[in-house]
Order: sequence, then structure tokens, then C-alpha cells
Amino acid sequence: MTSIQHILLSAIEATANEKELEWVKTKSNSDVKAIQIAFVSAPRFIRKVAIRIDEKVLHEAVPDWQIEEWTLERLVRVYLLLHIPSDQSEEYVKNIETLFDTAEINELVALYSALPVLSYPEKWLFRATEAVRSNMGVVFDAIGFGNPYPFLHFSELAWNQLVLKCIFNDKPIHLIVGLEKRANRKLAETLSDFAHERWAADRKVPAQVWRLVTNFMNDTILADLDKLFQSNDIQNQTAAALVCSETTFPGAESLLENYPQLRASVQKGQLSWKQLEVHQLCYV
Amino acid sequence: MCNKHSEIQQNPSHFEGSAEEKVTAQHVQANFMDYIKDMKFFDPHIHMTSRTTDDYQALADAGVVAIIEPAFWLGQPRTGLATFKDYFSSLVGWERFRSSQFGIKHYCTIGLNSREANNEPLAEQVMEILPLYLYKEGVVGVGEIGFDDQTPAEEKYYRWQLDLAKEANLPVQVHTPHRDKRKGTERSMAIALEHGIAPNMVIIDHNNEETVKSVLDQGFYAAFTIYPFTKMGNERMVEIVKQYGSERIMINSAADWGISDPLAVAKTAALMKMKGISDHDIKMVTYQNAIDAFAQSGQINVEDFENNTVIDQSKTFNGNTILRGGQQPRIDKNAIVIR
Repeated sequence: MTSIQHILLSAIEATANEKELEWVKTKSNSDVKAIQIAFVSAPRFIRKVAIRIDEKVLHEAVPDWQIEEWTLERLVRVYLLLHIPSDQSEEYVKNIETLFDTAEINELVALYSALPVLSYPEKWLFRATEAVRSNMGVVFDAIGFGNPYPFLHFSELAWNQLVLKCIFNDKPIHLIVGLEKRANRKLAETLSDFAHERWAADRKVPAQVWRLVTNFMNDTILADLDKLFQSNDIQNQTAAALVCSETTFPGAESLLENYPQLRASVQKGQLSWKQLEVHQLCYV
Repeated sequence: MCNKHSEIQQNPSHFEGSAEEKVTAQHVQANFMDYIKDMKFFDPHIHMTSRTTDDYQALADAGVVAIIEPAFWLGQPRTGLATFKDYFSSLVGWERFRSSQFGIKHYCTIGLNSREANNEPLAEQVMEILPLYLYKEGVVGVGEIGFDDQTPAEEKYYRWQLDLAKEANLPVQVHTPHRDKRKGTERSMAIALEHGIAPNMVIIDHNNEETVKSVLDQGFYAAFTIYPFTKMGNERMVEIVKQYGSERIMINSAADWGISDPLAVAKTAALMKMKGISDHDIKMVTYQNAIDAFAQSGQINVEDFENNTVIDQSKTFNGNTILRGGQQPRIDKNAIVIR
């Protein structure tokens, strides 16, 4: 048994009743066809109750993989996937792809959740970008949030699409694993364009997205910050003050000096990006 | 389903009401919702794939809390297995999500419809992939299957799918033919019994005055489709409930790409209320019987829709609108300005 199989099984054992555990053990030791059917029919045998997981142990094996809010059924499905024989890459990929091809909505969630622990990670790149293209909210969330796969494997183009689609749909970007580490110039410039479009339509931009421009400032973005300061919106102003205090871009410091109160607050450490993080998922 | 233009003709009216009643019926057209306040409905046959999001909104407003979408014919014959696969996947994927945005729980039945059973080379391939879908979460039956032209090929795949249903312990949703309906219905029931399927696991759909007695007498569930011109009118439906009561009877809209009405269940409930049918009987035929029949699949958890709390879409958090569970924001349909 691999260490990740072992960790997930411990979590299953901590939550499942005797009958469920018996089912999981029998099915996970079956042939591929039976595992596939078990993956599909899991909700008939496994309850959707909250799980208990030792996060410390989990994150030693798979850093940043957030699974503590999963249901038991989702966890069992991912555990079953880990029992599809992976020694033959072609056969393995075909078996997983069959499940993707015919998946219903919760199966898709389980499959995308499992990407960080599937074998041959490079083989799932196209699939992962398909989840970003999905308009099914929970499917997008499964790849976007608490999932280290995009951070580790996405190209810059795919990464930027993930972040932009998340912002476009007013979803909470801070739940994306590696958000700040993979910030880049192209993304910052596109965000500025996006803000201009929204402002032209008299719509808002979630204030926390400006955290992504700090290391990629230019004159246009500096002007955007000025607009934020003048917006009479405390969240926009907070974001602008934070960027100005964190960036080394010339002109940012003097811009902040025009707003002494905000400058004082940010210097005293009273402002933080955390204050701008909206946790609820919303779809406006 | 409404199938052919030649079939679109007015049903013979069984409405024997007085002139006064007719006037009332006209008046209620505009505000039928007044009669069904606080009622909730389960439409066990509706093809949302063919409907717009406006219909989802209207269903939610009328009190429809859960629906079943049977797999059916799309209006044009499919030419390959992949389109069947994509269709089945959309019933358990995209359509399920679309429905959830309006707070409506979406279930489906999966099957090879009778019309396309006649394309045997393709039907063989479809049968291969059906088991992949039948065991999925929220698949509450095999359907809609049965007879259309009543050909040997239709019979072959009907029988085959009955065996799949038996193996999966799933209810069967049976489409009865438009032409030669009475004989087709009898034949469908006889074959189901021959395959050892308990009649209470079979929902015989699209009944009318001529078929209902035999269906009920043999212990099957009798579903009625309220669908203009080709199937039941709801005045006739009221008379049926008066005559047969509410045991094992359910109504549905079968709304699809034809001229049909997604609010047929809610409107019929209003008409039943007006015409003195008891609240208990209304609940049985517009909600409870469908749940009892299809919950035999083990795939319906009434908690998922029964106590659906009202969603307050005006709540905001940090200036952002919060829409729990991905609910769609409401827009004022009468406003000329679009933002």
C-alpha cells in the first residue's frame, strides 16, 4: 500500500461505519472493471457525511491538498481511483479516461479532486483545462480550489485562464493553491484591461485581485491604483494602499502619500489582503 | 412527446362543466397561482434539455421542487454512439447543474427510446454503454422505454432493458405509443410481468381514459401527461381523479421541444383545487406518488428538496451578492433596461 493510500484509508476508517468499510475494502481489492463500477455506484453504499482527516500527515505527503471539507463518498471515490493498476501507462490512462468520458457531476468532482495523486500527472493536463472551461460551478471549483495540480503543472496560459475565469465569475481567488507564487506580468496586464472593461460597464472588480499586480506594476496599473484610491470604496482603497506599500515601482510611494490616513493604517499593519478575501462562493 | 404534425389535433373534450364553471376556468388562467400557494410539486417527466432557463425560473416560482428528466428522442435521429453518450452525460451533468441553479433537484431516467431502437446497429452499441449510466447517482429508473411503432426491434430492446432494470433494481418508466395505444399499453404490461418485474416497479406513462383502469387493476403506477392536443387535457384529468381517486396515479408535463407546458402539473393542481379535489389527493397525484414510485431506486432523498429554505438573494457580504449553492440571480423580466 502506498503512503497516500494509507493516509486516505485512515481517514475513511475514522468516518465510515463497519458496513461501509467492508464495502470499500472489498471493492478496492477487485479488478479494474469492478473498481470502475464501484466508483460510479459509490453513493449507493457510502454516505455523504463530513470526514475527519489528519491534515498534518496528509500535507507531508501532498502539500496544499485541501480535502478537509470533503464528504466520505468523495473521499472513497478518490481512494478507489488509487487502486486502478498503474504499471501500464496506456491501459491506466484509458481506464481513467473512460470514467471522465461518462462521468456525472459528482464523479467529475471526485476525478478532478484526485488529479494531484493520480499517476502520470502530465497525462491529465488537457482534462484539467477542460474543468477550467466547465460552466458547472462545482466542477470548476474541484480543479480551482485547494487543488495543487494547476500550480504544479499548468502552463502560464492555462494558469492565467484559471485565475481570470475565477475572477470573472466572482469566485474567491485566494482559494487557488499557489496564487501569489505564480503571479506573472501577463496576468497583471490582463487584470488591468479587465478592470477597465468592468469600470466602463459600471461594474465592480473584487478588491483582492489587485494583490496579483504588486510585482508587475507599470504606469497604466499605477493609474488604476489612483482610481481605486478615489473610488470612495474602502475595499478598493485598502487594496491600493497595500499594493503601494508592497511594490518597489517608482511613483507608488508618492501616490500613497496623497492618502495619509491609509498610509498610516498600512504602516501600522492594520490593513491586510485577508480582510479582502470573500470566502463565500458567489456567482453574479 | 408530441411526435408528428398529423397527430396534433384537439383532444375530445370531456369537460362537462356548466357555463358558469367555464367562465371561472377562463378567469383562473391569469392567476392560477392563487390556488396553489404553499403547495410543492414533483414533475416526474419533463425534458428540460429542450427548455430555456426562463422555464426553470417559472417552475421554481410555481412550486416545482424536483423533476425527473427521462432520456428520449431529440427530434432528429442520432447517427452515432458518441451523441448518445454525450446526451446521457448531459442528463447527469450539465442539466443537473443548470437545474440546481434554480433550487430544483434534478433526477433522470436513462434508456434507449423506442423510436431509435429501430436503428439496430446503433441500438446494439447503445445497449453496451447503458449499464455505465444506470448505476449513477440520481438515476432513478430505466426510461423512457417501450413501444412506438410496435416493431420486433422495439420489443427486443424493451425486453433487454427490462432485464437491465431488474438487475439494477430500478423502476421502469414506460412510454406508451400514440398509435394503437390501448393494445400497446397492454402489451407493455404483459411483457414486464413476463420478465418477472413487480408491477409496482413500473410506471406506465401517457395514460388516458381508455387505458387507466387496466393499468391500475394490474397494480402498475399510472402516469398521465398533461400536454395540449395530443395527450391529456387537465379538465379530463380532474375527472379521472374524481373517478379513480389518487392511489398510484401521478401527473407530469412531459414538456419538450413540442408545443407543451412546463407548468402543466402546477396548473392541473390549481384546477383540481378549484373543482373540489381534496388537498390530500392533489398532493398524492402531483407530488407524493411520483416520489414513492421512483424512490424505490434508492436514489431519492426527500431532504434534498422537501425543506428547501427560501433563498434571500438580497444578502450581501463585503459588498458582494451571496447566492448560496450557486443560485442564479433574479432579474426583473418586465424591465426594459438590461444591466
